[in-house]
Amino acid sequence: MQGRGVADALAAVSLRVIGRVQGVGFRPFIYRIAHQYGVAGWVRNAAGRVEIVAQAPETALTAFIDAITTQAPPLARPTVAGRETIDVEIGLSGFVIHHSAEGDPAEAGIPPDQFCCDDCLAEMRDPNQRRFRYPFINCTQCGPRYTIIDHLPYDRPHTSMAAFPLCDDCRAEYENPLDRRFHAQPLACPTCGPQLTFMQDGVRLNGNETGLRAAVAALRDGRIVAVKGIGGYHLICDAANAGAVARLRDLKPRPHKPLAVMPPLRGADGLAAARALAELTPVHAEALRDPLRPVVLCPKRADAPLCEGIAQGLGEVGLMLPYSPLHHLLTQDFGAALVCTSANISGEPVLTDNAEVETRLAHVAQAYLHHNRPIRRPADDGVFRIIDGAPRPLRLGRGCAPLELRLTQPVARPLLAVGGQMKNALALAWGERLILSPHIGDPGTQRGMRTFETTAAQLQQLYGVRAEAIAHDAHPDYSVTQWARAQDLPLIPVYHHEAHAAAMAGELAAEYDGDWLIFAWDGVGLGRDGTLWGGEALLGRPGAWKRVGSWRPFALPGGDAAARQPWRSAAALCWSLQQPFATPGLSREALQLLKQAWERGINAPVTSAVGRLFDAASALCGVCLEASFEGQGPMMLEAVCDAASAPLDLPLARNAEGVWVSDWAPLVAAMADADHAIAARSGLFHATLIAALLAQAQAVAADHPGALRVGLGGGVFQNRMLCEGALTALRGAGFDAHVGREIPMNDAGLAAGQIFEALASPRL
Amino acid sequence: MSHGSGGRASHTLIRELFASHLDNPYLRQNNDNARFDAPPGSLVMSVDSHVVSPIFFPGGDLGALAVHGTLNDVAMSGAVPLHLTAGFILEEGYPLADLERIVMSMARAAKDAGVEIIAGDTKVVERGHGDGVFITTTGIGVIPPGSARISGDAAQPGDAILISGSMGDHGAAIMLARESMDFDHAIQSDSAALHDLIAHMLRIVPNIHCLRDPTRGGLATTLNELAEQSNVGMVIEESAIPIQPQVAAVCELLGLDPLTLANEGKLIAICPPDQAQTLLKAMRAHPLGENAAIIGEVTEADAGMVQLVTGFGGRRILDWLAGTPLPRIC
Ligand SMILES: [Fe+3]
Ligand SMILES: [Mg+2]
Ligand SMILES: [Zn+2]
Ligand SMILES: [Zn+2]
Repeated sequence: MQGRGVADALAAVSLRVIGRVQGVGFRPFIYRIAHQYGVAGWVRNAAGRVEIVAQAPETALTAFIDAITTQAPPLARPTVAGRETIDVEIGLSGFVIHHSAEGDPAEAGIPPDQFCCDDCLAEMRDPNQRRFRYPFINCTQCGPRYTIIDHLPYDRPHTSMAAFPLCDDCRAEYENPLDRRFHAQPLACPTCGPQLTFMQDGVRLNGNETGLRAAVAALRDGRIVAVKGIGGYHLICDAANAGAVARLRDLKPRPHKPLAVMPPLRGADGLAAARALAELTPVHAEALRDPLRPVVLCPKRADAPLCEGIAQGLGEVGLMLPYSPLHHLLTQDFGAALVCTSANISGEPVLTDNAEVETRLAHVAQAYLHHNRPIRRPADDGVFRIIDGAPRPLRLGRGCAPLELRLTQPVARPLLAVGGQMKNALALAWGERLILSPHIGDPGTQRGMRTFETTAAQLQQLYGVRAEAIAHDAHPDYSVTQWARAQDLPLIPVYHHEAHAAAMAGELAAEYDGDWLIFAWDGVGLGRDGTLWGGEALLGRPGAWKRVGSWRPFALPGGDAAARQPWRSAAALCWSLQQPFATPGLSREALQLLKQAWERGINAPVTSAVGRLFDAASALCGVCLEASFEGQGPMMLEAVCDAASAPLDLPLARNAEGVWVSDWAPLVAAMADADHAIAARSGLFHATLIAALLAQAQAVAADHPGALRVGLGGGVFQNRMLCEGALTALRGAGFDAHVGREIPMNDAGLAAGQIFEALASPRL
Repeated sequence: MSHGSGGRASHTLIRELFASHLDNPYLRQNNDNARFDAPPGSLVMSVDSHVVSPIFFPGGDLGALAVHGTLNDVAMSGAVPLHLTAGFILEEGYPLADLERIVMSMARAAKDAGVEIIAGDTKVVERGHGDGVFITTTGIGVIPPGSARISGDAAQPGDAILISGSMGDHGAAIMLARESMDFDHAIQSDSAALHDLIAHMLRIVPNIHCLRDPTRGGLATTLNELAEQSNVGMVIEESAIPIQPQVAAVCELLGLDPLTLANEGKLIAICPPDQAQTLLKAMRAHPLGENAAIIGEVTEADAGMVQLVTGFGGRRILDWLAGTPLPRIC
């Protein structure tokens, strides 16, 4: 408390606070510090901002204003945006929280779902508390948000908690400004809140303790249990039970794609159990402990008590700490790591509905742990990988989405970007705001398309905006592009790799607005010349890209089939060099027929995709001929990479359009050379691509003197070896080199790139 | 040999060629029209221009295709075909021997189908202004009075969806023949006239709601057309769709979808669910429906969308055939 000096005259201010100040217990916090510093006045939510009128002796007032940012609750990110001295009101006393002004909801933010906070965790473990072991405990600092909101403003009646009337005890907490549950919208207790139901072999058991006990017993029995979490169901089983994991893989089916693992929270920093599974650097540890509680890819320990099938052939394992109270209870009671994979059907959005899970996953789930708090929209787990010293999102999801970014200039009119094909996410921009949705999934499935449609509609409705134009990929057959065409709105087509480049440039627009050289390396996407790009170097800025670098193009036998069969890319490279190609499992006649089709251009589109070069290399090395999930070949190739290898020098020459083109030809023989160990060949491949990238950058820089920032975008750079190697090489050569921070560099970030690109379009 | 300038010599040759192979009382009248009496009921007409490369392919040729294609379009209304007309556009210099093969094949196809080509016309275009031979055929048929209405907009939620046999044969055969690819396992076009099968089906199940032949764009495109026209959804079981193993093998190898390949002797039938088994039995009793199958059902939900149920309960959206399909997987 401040003493009252002579100079300490009474002063009054009106404050406007912006940032993440909704759904995070911000007003009760203001109320508390007002009492603490003896400040009179009021606080209220208004149109996404918080308005405060504060009156106190000058030193106390200053301390109060400082405390707004320095002592804010962990989830809040307040910025004092406006501060105006106002007349002192004689006799003003007390501090009150005014009700929300139902202002323009478009200014409001939708808070992401929050992990169970330390206070709630401690309370849940205390037998003297009425919420002892209650799986739905939460407070203003934690609990579900995005997945339970019907519409804004974020108040209990506008959430799926409206169906749970508060009991007297909860109501008292909800209405007491000094309680940490004051206006915690998902507030619940065993008396009035959601309950668990366990279902196995047609028998239903209601009740939290009964359900938990039965679920843990089923897991101990080696069963696969579908467990309803925050943003959807997981399929959960014992991570050390090889039979259960094999069964999960066979029936989901998910033969090879790595499975996420959830260790219990243990030890002083909660990571003791995680450390038994993976070698955690401080960056990994911090990413795991982040309130987002994402899946973090961590270096797997050789002696990890995990069965072989968890992340076969890969050096990393995806770990995720328990995030909801239910997951804490499950892992704690089970006492060991659990496999925790999204309950969906391959490529579809995660399932959220109790009945639908029982019908659609009956072939794999052997028991169900349901609860009766409805999930309004799916939010799958986010996935991060540590690259270049920081966690980079590979997928946005629960806890981190919707991702909000500030635009450096306002959008002329509200804009929807529909994203890509397989791992779809969409974006919405209006005013100076850009929202990127969580991972939606494959809109080529019925559920994916419906989830896409409802996410598009609900985000617009939640934020109170209506898109007046749609940005979409230039590929005519993406499911979401077809959807866009059926809407009665102006369309802005964006080329795939220009969107990847724009995502990178747009994310950093506030700190740099010069020209970029961006390497957009991924699988295939439609390019400006009608071929399938995927190994491009683009120079310029959103709306004005020039292709300056690429790879020797080749025809892809079987089109999309090549994405699942790396041997096809290998065949293409061999045949392009007039070399024979053979692969086990395919007869000479079959390969001859395919080669004829390839020569005649039947379903053999031309591409320059580096993703397919990785596939070819993984097949030529014998690491992966057939892939059961996207990117399996490149991931397995990276996992065996010997980092100390020297590169091959690839030919680099200008083509007729003046584009610098690297030729992969020397790599073909080197990859197939059985005299060298696979690790060495993989190492050589990575080193060679890094050297080729640097050579292209230097050639372009020589053509374009002046400062150039270099960026890396596209799914290929999820490869840490390649990405870090390229950044190191570029920086060593004097380039200022970057990779995306908040927007996923793969197709999950495409919609954001489409927005940045459309912003520069004359059609907007 | 030249038949370019329409000179008397070639003109006569061509006339004789048509006259000798397509001979019937209508053509013998030598008028520029054919007069016939219409039986009672509704008349149905359809026209189709036929172009195919190569003109001769395993399982058929342009001539037979020109007869079957139009007859099938007439028959999909439930009509009994009565007559055909044919218009030829010949490129100057097209070998008369090949033309004769085509005309003979047409004659045989028409005779097998029990119809006559009652009017015809031939034009010759300069060399380089055509691609060998184009044939336009018009068909006329009659729906007997009192027949139930069969139409693409008549599919009802709950209805069963049947197909008369394996998918993709024609498209695969044509592609392999056109590109003269080495493939040992013969794939034949399924080119056939379906009105007899349809007559047989209607005798046993008179209230079929829709009939359509999945020609260009294959089953995928035709089901989408029907779903849109009837404003219904469709759920198809992938495993229920018959596909010949050699067609499946070629498609898998070349990365093609057999459900987007053309058929020229298959039909889709949509009928009330309680009639599905009866109709299936009827179809299987006919030589052109031996491999008939119930492949799915019509739904009220997801109107305009055709879903393919794949293994393990996946539900892929079955799209219309894209113009030039480009890979979509990034
Ligand atoms: Fe991409
Ligand atoms: Mg037709
Ligand atoms: Zn809490
Ligand atoms: Zn309560």
